[in-house]
Amino acid sequence: MGLAILLGLFALCIAIGVPVAYAIGVAAVATFAYEGLPLLIAFQRISSGISVFSLLAIPFFIFAGELMLHGGIAARLVHLASSSVGWMRGGLGQVNVFSSMLFGGISGSAVADVSALGSLLIPVMKEKGYEPEYAVNVTVTSSIAGIMIPPSHNMILYVVAAGGGMSITKLFIAGIVPGVLMCLGLAIAARWIAVKKNYPTEPFAGWIVVLSTAIAALPGLFTAVIIVGGALSGVFTVTESGAIGAIYAIVITALAYRSLTLEAFWLAVRRSVRTTGMVMILVACASAFGYMLAFYRVPEQLTSLLYYFSDNPIIILLTLNVILLILGMIMDMAALILICTPIFLPVATSLGMDPIQFGVMLMMNLGLGLCTPPVGACLFVGCSIGEVPIEKAVKSIWPFYLAILTALVLITFVPAISMTLPNLIG
Amino acid sequence: MGRQPRFLHSMERPLALLAKVCTCISGFCLILLVVTFGWLVFGRYILNSTPTWVEQLALLLIVLITFLSSAVGIKEKTHLSVEILPYLLKKRSRSVLYIFIYLILGGFGLIMMVQSYHLTVFNWSTIIPLLDIPEGYRTLPMVISGGLVSLFSLGNILQEICSLLTKDHRVNSPNKNSSGKNTQSEETTNNTSEQSSLSEENS
Repeated sequence: MGLAILLGLFALCIAIGVPVAYAIGVAAVATFAYEGLPLLIAFQRISSGISVFSLLAIPFFIFAGELMLHGGIAARLVHLASSSVGWMRGGLGQVNVFSSMLFGGISGSAVADVSALGSLLIPVMKEKGYEPEYAVNVTVTSSIAGIMIPPSHNMILYVVAAGGGMSITKLFIAGIVPGVLMCLGLAIAARWIAVKKNYPTEPFAGWIVVLSTAIAALPGLFTAVIIVGGALSGVFTVTESGAIGAIYAIVITALAYRSLTLEAFWLAVRRSVRTTGMVMILVACASAFGYMLAFYRVPEQLTSLLYYFSDNPIIILLTLNVILLILGMIMDMAALILICTPIFLPVATSLGMDPIQFGVMLMMNLGLGLCTPPVGACLFVGCSIGEVPIEKAVKSIWPFYLAILTALVLITFVPAISMTLPNLIG
Repeated sequence: MGRQPRFLHSMERPLALLAKVCTCISGFCLILLVVTFGWLVFGRYILNSTPTWVEQLALLLIVLITFLSSAVGIKEKTHLSVEILPYLLKKRSRSVLYIFIYLILGGFGLIMMVQSYHLTVFNWSTIIPLLDIPEGYRTLPMVISGGLVSLFSLGNILQEICSLLTKDHRVNSPNKNSSGKNTQSEETTNNTSEQSSLSEENS
C-alpha cells in the first residue's frame, strides 16, 4: 500500500502539472507520513541529498556553458564547422551536426545546444532554401551530443544516483565514441534527406579559411580540454576542473574574445543559478524518494518481475530501453536519471552490463526523450526558433530518430563502443 | 471587481522584489563558489597549502543557491512540469487546477519550513568541521525556502483568484508555459532572442 501511495501520488502530481521536483518531494513526504516515519528524516534526506562534493561540478558546468553561450563561442564554432564540412551535399545540415559535436563538448547541455546553435543556423538554413522542418529536426536531434560528449552534468547526476561508486571521468570518456557514432548516424540521415531533396552545397572556402576559423575557435574548444583533461590527468578533481573551466571561460570570453559584457555576465549568472536550482532541487527531493524506493525494495522486486517474464538478456535490455523511451517522452531527463537509475541499474548489472555502459545507454535514451513529443524541451525550443509547428516537424523527423535508435541499439548490445576508451585509461 | 487587480499589484511588487533579492544572493553565492574553488587550486599548486575549508563552505553555498533559486522558480514559474492536463482544460478550469497545484506547493512549503526548523534546532549544537559554525546552517536555507515557497504559492493563488473574479483568464501556469511544453523550453526560448542579439553582436 505504501508503495502504491508513493508511485500513485507521484504519478497524480505529475499528471496534473505539479512541478516535477515538488511532485517527487510531495510523494516522498506523504509516504514517510503514511509509514509513520519521522518527517524529520525525509527533510534530512532532502538536505543531505545535495551535500555531495561531486555534485558541486554541476553549477560549474552550467555556468561555464552559459558563459560560452553568451560569450561568442557558438558563432566561432559554427564558422569552423561551416568552413570544414559546409561543402558537402546539404552542407548546412552537416555543419549543424558537426557544430553540435563541438559545442556539445563545451556546454554539456542539449537545450543550450539547440538554443545557441539553432538561433544561429536555423535562420541561415531557411534563407538558403532548406525546409524549416529539416533545419529544426537536424538541430534538435544533434543536440543530444551535448549530453553524450563530455563534460555533461547529466552524467554527474547519474553517478550520484548510482550511489557514487563509479568514476565520473571514466563515464565522461565512455560517452565520446557513442556520441560521435550517433552524430555520424545523424550526418548520414541529414545527407540522405539532402540528396533526396536536392539541398544546396556551400562552396569550399579554402584551407586558409579552415585554418583561421580553427584558430579562432581553439581557445573556446580548450574549455572542454581543461575540464576533461584536468580530471583525466588527475591534476584536478572533476569538481575543481569544472570551476577552473568556468574561470577559463570568463577569461577567454572577456579578455580574448572581448564579447562578454557585464550585462551578459550577469545574465549568465542568473540563468546558471536558475538552472542549478531546478536541477539540484530535483536531486534533493529524489534523495527522499530514493530512500522510500529502497525501503520498499523496489529495485529487487523489479528485477525479479523482469526475470519472471523472461530471462533472455536481449529481451530484458530491449524492455528497459522501451520503458525508458516511453518515460523520456513524458518526463524531464534529470528527474528520470534520478528516479530510474536506482531502479534499473541493478537489473542491468545483474545481466552483466557495466554501470558505465548502462549510464551511456541511459543518457542517449533519455536524450532522445528531449526530442520527442508530447514533452521534449529540445524539440520545443527548436520548433520555436524555426517557427515550425511541432506536429509538422515531427512528421519528417523519423530518419533522425532512426539514426539515434540504431546508435542506441549498438550501444546497448556492443559494450566495446562505450567501454574501450574507459578501459584504456585503466 | 476593480479592486482586486490593484490589491494584486500591491502584493506582486514586494514578491517580485523578494524574488530578485533571492536571485542576487544566489548569484553572489555562485560567484563566491567559483572564486573559492579557484583559490583552492591556486593554494594547492602555487602556495603549496590547500585551503581545507573550501569544501565545507562550498557545500553550504550550494545548499543556499539550490533552496533560494528553487523557491524563486515557483514565483517565476520556471520549474519543469508536465503540462498536458492543463493544456487540455478550458481556461477557467485551468485556473482552478492551478490554484489546486499552488495549494499543494504551498502546503509542501509549510511542512518543509516547520520540519526543517526542527532539524535546524536539532543540529544547532553540532559544529561543522573546519568552519566552526553550527551544523544548523546547513538546513537553515530549507527553512527560508519553505517559507518562500509558501509565500510565492500564495501570491500565485491570489493572482489566479483575481483572474477568475475579473474574468481575466490569463495563462498563469505553474511553469509559465501552458501549451504542453515544459519550462526549460520556454525559459530557453525567451532567452533565444537574447542569445540571438548577442550572437549578432558577436558576429
